[in-house]
Order: sequence, then C-alpha cells, then structure tokens
Amino acid sequence: MLIEDLGGNILGTIPLGDIVLYLNPLHLFLFVTILLFTALISISRTETQVEAMFGSLDENKVAVGLKEFKQRRFLAIICGIATAGAMITGDLFNFTLFMALIGIVNIGIVSAVKQVDVLNSAYQYGLIAMMCGLPLFGGAAIILAATGTLSLFELASIPANPMMIFGALVMLVGVAGESGIAPFFASKAEMFRTPGSPFILIIHLSSLFIIVRFVEILLTIL
Amino acid sequence: MPKIAKLWNKLANPKNIPRLFAVILGLLLIVGFIIPMGLNTDQIYIRPAPQSQMDAGLAIAPYDRGGEVLVSPGVTEAQYPENSKNLGWINSYMTPIAELLKALSPYFGTSICASPGGLIDEILYYTRGFDTILESSILMMAFIIASWLAINFTIDRKEERDIKEDVKRAIASSDRIANEVEESNRKAREKQAKKEFR
Repeated sequence: MLIEDLGGNILGTIPLGDIVLYLNPLHLFLFVTILLFTALISISRTETQVEAMFGSLDENKVAVGLKEFKQRRFLAIICGIATAGAMITGDLFNFTLFMALIGIVNIGIVSAVKQVDVLNSAYQYGLIAMMCGLPLFGGAAIILAATGTLSLFELASIPANPMMIFGALVMLVGVAGESGIAPFFASKAEMFRTPGSPFILIIHLSSLFIIVRFVEILLTIL
Repeated sequence: MPKIAKLWNKLANPKNIPRLFAVILGLLLIVGFIIPMGLNTDQIYIRPAPQSQMDAGLAIAPYDRGGEVLVSPGVTEAQYPENSKNLGWINSYMTPIAELLKALSPYFGTSICASPGGLIDEILYYTRGFDTILESSILMMAFIIASWLAINFTIDRKEERDIKEDVKRAIASSDRIANEVEESNRKAREKQAKKEFR
C-alpha cells in the first residue's frame, strides 16, 4: 500500500542521509500530540498516593522523593522524545532502535520505586525486553535481506513475498512484547501500580502510540 | 467456563509473561524453518562475495572498498545519493598505525585491531548516521539508569535510618507475599484433600 493512502499527502521530508523522516497529517498529529504531552509532564509534579490504613483512622502517604522525581522526569522526557521520533521515522531499522530506547527507558522510570511487587513486574518486563532484541532486530534484518532496502518509501512499492511477511510477523511479536499489548500486558500493567502518575503514564502512552505506528508500517510494507 | 477463567488468571500474573512470550517467539521461529529464505542480491549495502578479496590478496580484505582518500571515491552505495553527495571520498582512510599494520600483515582486515574506514564507517557514520546516534543513546540511557541506581541505592547510603526503614518495608512486603503464598498453598491442599476424600 502506498504511504499516501494511509496517512494522507506527504507534507515534507527531513533527510538525514539514508534515513528520511517524513511528515504527513497522521504522523504529524501523533508527533505533535506526544510532544505536547511530554511538555506537559516536564512542567508537572508527581502525585502522592494516600492509602487508608486498615483498622485505624490514619492514612499512609506514598510520596516520591526529590531525587527520584528528577530522575523519573528526565527519563520520561527522553521516552516522550523517543516516541515522537518513532512517529515520524521513515526507516524500519530506525523504528526498531526507537522501540528499544523506549523499552529501556520504561524500565528506568520504575527502577527506583520501593514496592516489591512493582520491582518484580519491572524485572519480568526487563526479561521480555531483553528477549525482544532478537525479534525486533532479526525481523528488520530478514526484511532487509528479502528486499535489499530499509526505507519505508522503497518498501511500500515492493510487493510482499513470504520471507517479508515472516520478517514482519517476527517484528510484530517483538513490538507486541516490548510495548506490552495482550497477551503480554500483565508485567507492564503491574509496573504502573506506584505513585508518580504523569511520569508513569508515559510508559502507557508510548506503547499505545508505538502500536498505532507499527500497524501503519505493517500496512505500508505488506 | 472455569478453564478460560483460570487461563485469564494465569495471564494476569507477571511471572508467567516472559515464559509465554518465549514460547510464542519459539513457535514462530520454528515456523521460520518452512518459510523459503533467500538473500535478495539487489542490496543497497552490498558486500563483496565471500573470500573474493582474500583470494585477490588485499591486505584489508574483506573490507576493501577501493578509492583513495580525497582523490577518488570508493564503492559505497546509498539509498538516497542526493542526500549524501560526498559518499565514498574517505572510504579508504586509515590511521597511521593502521597503515603500518597493513604494511606488516596480509591479514590485517580480519584482525581484531582492524577498523578500517571503509565499508563499516562510511555506511554507519555517513549514510546511516542517525542510527549511530540512537544506538549510542540507548547505551547512554542504560548507563544513566544503572549508575543512578548504583550511586543512590548502594554507594551513597550514609543515613542509617533510611536503610533501616527500607529494609523494614521490604521485609514487611515480602512477609505479606509469603503469607499470601502460604494461604494459597493451604487452600490448594484443602481442595486436594476434599477431592481425595470423595
């Protein structure tokens, strides 16, 4: 399928050597939305969870320390920028690199919490993220071997063959695991159960955006 | 449908997710054995045929891309040549030490100390330069996270009170988990006993 059919007319390209970022209405919308959200969280403060204590009238406040707050904010901003980059990239391998960056930053955002359950699920997510290196980069490599190019513009005009479809499927498994969609949602969903709302939310938002973009890429190249 | 309910409950446990993922990935890769695989020879980032440069006796085989630094361009292709106009001009650049080694050894290209300008660098740093930036930023993020954790949670912990509090919290939370596990074990055992009694 041609790129114009899915995202609308191409408004312009940003050439960086062989890696050409392209802008069309769909990608521009996703790009601007994620950047706006990143700007919002970069000026916001974290929430404090208030837990009712059992058997008494006291309450337990779970707050985030200043140091941890700064670290999380930094990583959340990097995550937002990486997601924004993945929205407008026009190169398959570049997309997988953005995906890997988002994965590692997601673990970093929750790495300093003190709840054992959250750390445990972050560890399980880390295991998946490690495994995802193989399908993500392997899938891109299979598609490169089958077609001889990584540029989405070129791939859009090449008819799909079984090897390309297999490469795309392998990549799909990688993206599904790394962004934690069903049936791999549990480890990533448990990571959110900690205070620090706006920064935690970008873990979720980046996965949503990545999935939308990856479906669009799949429709383009197959 | 109690079986589906059980399956959903298993999916909600983070511990099972890496295993499930590994199984699905493994199955897909096994399917890969029956897919016809073949290298499309029409590649942009071409490589010379295996052993051809070795047989020709080139010292920096298999990385020889021809050309002379700033005199004549070597063989490197790009997807969009209009974006990288000076492609190939520094293909054959090597440091003085590399030049010396090349003169000494006919197998310089395959040795561990060889990173001749050539193929790798021109593609990595010129036509696909943005990838290099991203790769190193992934590494940088990993190091930032690891060093931040190391500094704040293992090295710089001078306040005893903090450590004690954290240890207390960790013990309480692991106690809770242990209790839950024990509770579920007890329930399972009861269930088993009931079944056997029947």
